[in-house]
Amino acid sequence: MAGLQPAPSPGVAVKKPVRRCAEVCLELLCVESVRLFHDKQSGPAAAAALEAVGFRVGQQLAERYTRDKPRLGDTLEIIKFVCKDFWQALFKKQVDNLKTNHRGVYVLQDNGFRWLQRLSAPAPGSDPAREEAARQVALSYLHLPCGVVRGALCHLGVSCTVEADPKQLPSCTFTVRILA
Amino acid sequence: MGIACVAFIGPQNNPLYLRSMDPATDDQYMKLHYVVHCALDAVEEKVMLKRGPGDSQDAYLGLLYPTEDYRVYGFLTNTHVKIILLLDDEGPIKDEAVVRVFRRLHGLYVDTTSNPFHKFGLPIASTRFDTQLEQIVAVYPRPGASLGGFMT
Repeated sequence: MAGLQPAPSPGVAVKKPVRRCAEVCLELLCVESVRLFHDKQSGPAAAAALEAVGFRVGQQLAERYTRDKPRLGDTLEIIKFVCKDFWQALFKKQVDNLKTNHRGVYVLQDNGFRWLQRLSAPAPGSDPAREEAARQVALSYLHLPCGVVRGALCHLGVSCTVEADPKQLPSCTFTVRILA
Repeated sequence: MGIACVAFIGPQNNPLYLRSMDPATDDQYMKLHYVVHCALDAVEEKVMLKRGPGDSQDAYLGLLYPTEDYRVYGFLTNTHVKIILLLDDEGPIKDEAVVRVFRRLHGLYVDTTSNPFHKFGLPIASTRFDTQLEQIVAVYPRPGASLGGFMT
C-alpha cells in the first residue's frame, strides 16, 4: 500500500506528456506499404495507388503546417515553403538545392533523402546493370513521397505533377511541373 | 458580442459547414446562406486590396461588411478555406477576441481534416466537430440563445 501514489486532486492540472512515435515505425510502414501495394496490384496501378495515398496525406499535412504562417503569395513562395518548412517538418532537413527555368519547372534536390536512407546503394563505379536495378527499386519507394509533395502543392493552389529521379542513392531530385 | 453563425467554405467556394446558433425557420436558413455567400465577394475584394506591397499578409480579414442584423467577419487560410463569422450587433467588438475565436476554429478544422476518413470537398459531418465548435462558441453566447441552433 505504501507504493501507491495518491491520485492528483481535481484542482491540480496534470500536464500529459507529449506522445511521440519512433521514426523506425514510419520507415517500416513506408517499406511495407510499397511491398503490400505491389503485391496486390501490378506495376503502374500500384504506383498510382501509392501516389493517391500520398496525395491525401500531403493535403492534410499542408493544412496542418501552413496553419499559423503568414499568407503565401505566389507560386514561388509556395514552392519555397515546401522546400523549407514542409521538408523540415517531414524529413528533418531542408531541400539542398532549388532550380527553376522560370517557365513552370522547378527541380528540388535533396542530397540524402530520408526515406531512401535504408536502401543499400551499389558502390560507385560498379556494374551499370546493378546501378539500374537499384534505381528501379528506389523509384518504387518514391511514389509515396511524390504523392505527398503533389498533394501539398495542389492543396495550396499550385496544380502540378511531381516526378522523382534517384540519381545517386540516397540523393534524389524531384521535378515539379506546373500545369497551366 | 455574440456569435450568431459560423460557416466554413472550401477553396472552390463550396460550402463545407454552416451552423447557426439560433433555432430557425426556413427563411432564416436561406438568409444566412445568402449573407455568407455575399461575404465571399467581400473576401475576394479584401484579398485583392491587400496585394499591395507593405500590406500585412495576414489570415484575419477583419470586418467584411455590416448587414442590418449582423456584422460579418472573415478569415482566409493558406489553403484557401474561408471561415465566416456572423456576430450580432450588440456591444463593442474587440478584434483580438475575434482573432482568437478564428484561430481556435482553424485549429478545430485542421484537426478534423487530419482524420484519415475525411474527404476534402465534401461537407463536414462529424459529431465531434459539432460539439467542439459549440464549446468554442459557448465562450461568446448570444443573449437568450440556445446552443443547439441548426446546421446545414
